[in-house]
Amino acid sequence: MEPRSETERFTVPIGPQHPALKEPGHFRISVEGEIVTQAAVRLGYAHRGIEKGAEGRNWIRNQYLVERICGICSHIHATAYCLGVERLAKVEVPPRAQVIRVLVAELERIHSHLLWIGVAGHEAGFDTLFMYSWRDREAIMDVLEALTGNRVNYSANVLGGVKCDVDDALRDTILRTVDGLEKRTEHYLRVVTTDALFLQRTRGIGVMTRAQAEVLGAVGPTARASGVERDVRVEAPYAAYPSFPVRIVTDTRGDLEARVVVRVRELFECYRLVREILDHMPPGELHGRMPRRIPEGETISRVEAPRGELFYFLKSNGSDTPERVRVRTPTVCNMTSVVRLVVGHQLADVPMILAGIDPCFSCNDRVIDVERKGRAAEQWTWEQLRAYGVDTYHGHRP
Amino acid sequence: MPSPEQILQIVSELAASWTWKMETRQPEPNRIDVVLPSPADLVPFVVGLRVQRLGYLSTITGLDPGVDSGHLELLYHFCPGPAVINLRLTVPRDGARVPTLTEIIPSAESAEREVREMFGVTFDGLRNADPLYLPDDWPAGVYPLRKDFDGNGRLKLA
Repeated sequence: MEPRSETERFTVPIGPQHPALKEPGHFRISVEGEIVTQAAVRLGYAHRGIEKGAEGRNWIRNQYLVERICGICSHIHATAYCLGVERLAKVEVPPRAQVIRVLVAELERIHSHLLWIGVAGHEAGFDTLFMYSWRDREAIMDVLEALTGNRVNYSANVLGGVKCDVDDALRDTILRTVDGLEKRTEHYLRVVTTDALFLQRTRGIGVMTRAQAEVLGAVGPTARASGVERDVRVEAPYAAYPSFPVRIVTDTRGDLEARVVVRVRELFECYRLVREILDHMPPGELHGRMPRRIPEGETISRVEAPRGELFYFLKSNGSDTPERVRVRTPTVCNMTSVVRLVVGHQLADVPMILAGIDPCFSCNDRVIDVERKGRAAEQWTWEQLRAYGVDTYHGHRP
Repeated sequence: MPSPEQILQIVSELAASWTWKMETRQPEPNRIDVVLPSPADLVPFVVGLRVQRLGYLSTITGLDPGVDSGHLELLYHFCPGPAVINLRLTVPRDGARVPTLTEIIPSAESAEREVREMFGVTFDGLRNADPLYLPDDWPAGVYPLRKDFDGNGRLKLA
């Protein structure tokens, strides 16, 4: 048998079926032995044509469309959209509505970051962390459900304000939940900075220097973990953030550990904000009056999603449907950094580095309606769901 | 980071010192629109922004004003801190060529690839011009975000 050249390159196609997360993306990774020499990415497996779809729906329906860009950060999409449309229409949103928007946004950030800690633990082979953090995340999902009526796609926003309110009983529930989660988060911070197994997978892996982060245009916690002070809530405060200033959380190390630590420390900041908001809720109306037709104009709306800067460009032609809705989600920006950072690392580190930016493929593809043809929407009872999801695996069917 | 007013001042001075007359507008207190006369002005102007440390490119938006207008519009959104700088560039509808920004701003690649496949604008010097979102078997010459694309995979015939 001929001896193979030691420097032979090999291209490993990964995906589109879940390269790291349960979402589609295709990566072509060139390797020499175990070491990655080049990486390229193809997206679009979850492309649903939402930007195009938005041009054929009116301003009100579009709010519900953009909420469905992402299941994890639906509120922040709607917030960015509503803030932009309200600016075009020159509608004043009552202060209480703005505060509730920020409250839901911070609760959403808590749920998103807890979800991510679980995913990071799972990718590192630390499934206990995944189980615990997802259990704790349920507490925040319950709060979101109590507040808005839904666990995901909450639709807390309407054009001109919000449609949910916080009463005293709910306020106490939220505060109690946050107190409990804060204790748990202290535990997580200790675990992710001391657990030997986890540190082997995160310390010194996927290092991005501050200069690299700036050149590669990283955003959100990924950028902040490299020392770049980029947070829209701080730089250009929107909604109620001018009255509830955010303390920016950064780290200088720029490796995976820093990205984990920044997100965990951001959780404490979220808890502080939620308490402060609940202690200083201004009284008043929940929404203003919104015209059906939006005056001609263009505007840009930027907000800080859990994953970084979310950018909306809205153009109105004076009718009841938008001329153009452009969405740029944070994952698109951070994906550039992944394909650069994996070079020089072991193939086994690729999923971890990819997960490190907290990618959201639905977000960056944002564009499919899943419809089961010929079947009406069904509602399942808790027993039916349990039978489908749990009992099947125990071999006993009802 | 300077205040939005200072940033807008710097950008309008940069535009005023250009050899060709460059139109600027301030439609919102924190936003300035700069109308670039030709694609040749793009790279020098972006270098100017980078030198002033205002060169964080958020994204590029393609706009289709309609088939009758005969042109497309590209908006380069720079978002340094609290301000937004829009560079507006009008290009012909057919055979538009614009220099790439990836030599100065590597992160422009994803935005340029998206505009390329969705609007049919060629970026000169873009090394990786593979489709980013659209499938490999997507028909050539069909650009889904143009207004004459009806959303069902067919071009509306006039």
